[in-house]
Amino acid sequence: MLAVEKVSRIFQGGKAGFKNVNLSLEKGEVVGVLGTSGCGKSTLLRVLSGLDENFEGEIKTEANDPNQAFGMMFQEPRLMPWLNVWENIVFGTGKKDKKQEAFELMKTVGLEGFENHYPKDLSGGMAQRAAIARSLLIRPEILLLDEPFSALDAFTKMQLQDLLLDIFEKHQTTTLLVTHDIDEALYLCDRVIIMRGQPGRIESQITVEAKRPRKRGDSYLAELKQDVLKELDFTKE
Amino acid sequence: MASQTEAAVRPTTKKEKTTINPLKSNVVVGSLLPVTLIIIWEMASRGGFVEPHLLPAPTTVLEEVITMAQEGELWGHIWITLYRVFAGFLLGTGAAILLGAATGYIKIVERVLDPMLQALRAIPSLAWVPLFILWLGIGETSKITLVAVGVFFPVYLNLTSGIQGVDRKLIEVGRMYHFTALQQIKRIILPASLPSFLVGLRSGLSLGWMFVVAAELLGASEGLGYLMVFGQNTSAPELVIASILLFAIFGKITDEILKRIQTRTLKWQDNMENAS
Ligand SMILES: Nc1ncnc2c1ncn2[C@@H]1O[C@H](COP(=O)(O)OP(=O)(O)OP(=O)(O)O)[C@@H](O)[C@H]1O
Ligand SMILES: [Mg+2]
Repeated sequence: MLAVEKVSRIFQGGKAGFKNVNLSLEKGEVVGVLGTSGCGKSTLLRVLSGLDENFEGEIKTEANDPNQAFGMMFQEPRLMPWLNVWENIVFGTGKKDKKQEAFELMKTVGLEGFENHYPKDLSGGMAQRAAIARSLLIRPEILLLDEPFSALDAFTKMQLQDLLLDIFEKHQTTTLLVTHDIDEALYLCDRVIIMRGQPGRIESQITVEAKRPRKRGDSYLAELKQDVLKELDFTKE
Repeated sequence: MASQTEAAVRPTTKKEKTTINPLKSNVVVGSLLPVTLIIIWEMASRGGFVEPHLLPAPTTVLEEVITMAQEGELWGHIWITLYRVFAGFLLGTGAAILLGAATGYIKIVERVLDPMLQALRAIPSLAWVPLFILWLGIGETSKITLVAVGVFFPVYLNLTSGIQGVDRKLIEVGRMYHFTALQQIKRIILPASLPSFLVGLRSGLSLGWMFVVAAELLGASEGLGYLMVFGQNTSAPELVIASILLFAIFGKITDEILKRIQTRTLKWQDNMENAS
């Protein structure tokens, strides 16, 4: 579905960005990206989504409509400040037939009753939930999520992770999920990629063999978590 | 005493009172100084401390306004001045939107047009008057054009800086949705630059009032500005002060209208004014 070959995007004369990333995603595959802060994860998503075109290497997609294959949830909510929650969620769909679906999504992310609030009156987590609903509504073939649940409490987070599982199940959405939460990556992804360094490289990959839906706190996942932590260890060279 | 205990028992009533009070007291506090000054002025005039042919008493000015209003000649002057301001405002704003949007969106237009407009802006407003009168005669056209020139620059400058200052992050959201250029403008750039545009409209309007005075002082046979010249030539200071007063009133009213529009359309803005 998505093949990334030797892609690099370098900033500041080679001191930042990411280098030589090879990656391939099957249709319906969910791949997590873990990595130290500043190792170029957001930059990678920007390059993949087409927002940043100054990269080297090759990106191939096998989508039905290659121009509109990608949907992206940014690291910040990026809500339009002049639109209320509801208008923000349906922003960019343009079609009226999405109304029912948008309403369901708004309910699932727990924003029912806040549809008339402007972004200035939302908490950080509420804004993030509105952004999640907005990016899930357009149903892209390839979904890029940049730390989608970073501002949420543990319980809401679990709820929305299950919402993502539902969507993966129903729509076979190919997904690249950037996160700092190792448990989240192991709970949701088929494969976890670990990036390190400045500029970032792919350090290693861990395949999660267990079938979804998985049990949180599973002993197999706990073992994998140890491996991931070892890979992320800064002090290791 | 009774109301005090009531407030203590039912804090909600106290709350209601405090929400109304600041508005009232604002008006009261704000008018304290002008009212005092007017009273001192009136007493000074009556006591003969100032010469009435230089500074007539407030009551004399008021009488003058009322007589003119009753005789009917005042309305014609007010009407023609308002007409000049509005026509000039519309014309200037229209031109500013067209050119401002073009320089804001299209890089090449900015590089061609903006330096020239910046240079023209440096010309003091009154320098245009003889040229406009020469070109357009002393009729309405030259006056309206002068007002339009005054209105044009603040609106143009604020609009272009508003458009150029739109958050790149929001534009990227539009790009992720594969917006066309037109959708991008309509759904992101326009609303995002609206606050700056409205600021431009308000300062444009106040400059419009300034320019109408200039135009009427220098060559008019009607209008509030003409009344001032007439008052000066006939040594009637009450006429001059009355005209100043009327300019102040109408300037304030029109600005208030724009301000209302501004607060209503920008209630989404996260600023001190909207903090509750
Ligand atoms: N446009 C740019 N110009 C220069 N440097 C940039 C630019 N964009 C990103 N960088 C640099 O690239 C590096 C990677 O940034 P990026 O946002 O991709 O990190 P990240 O992995 O997403 O980090 P975090 O986990 O904190 O979100 C940073 O050091 C950043 O300073
Ligand atoms: Mg990031």
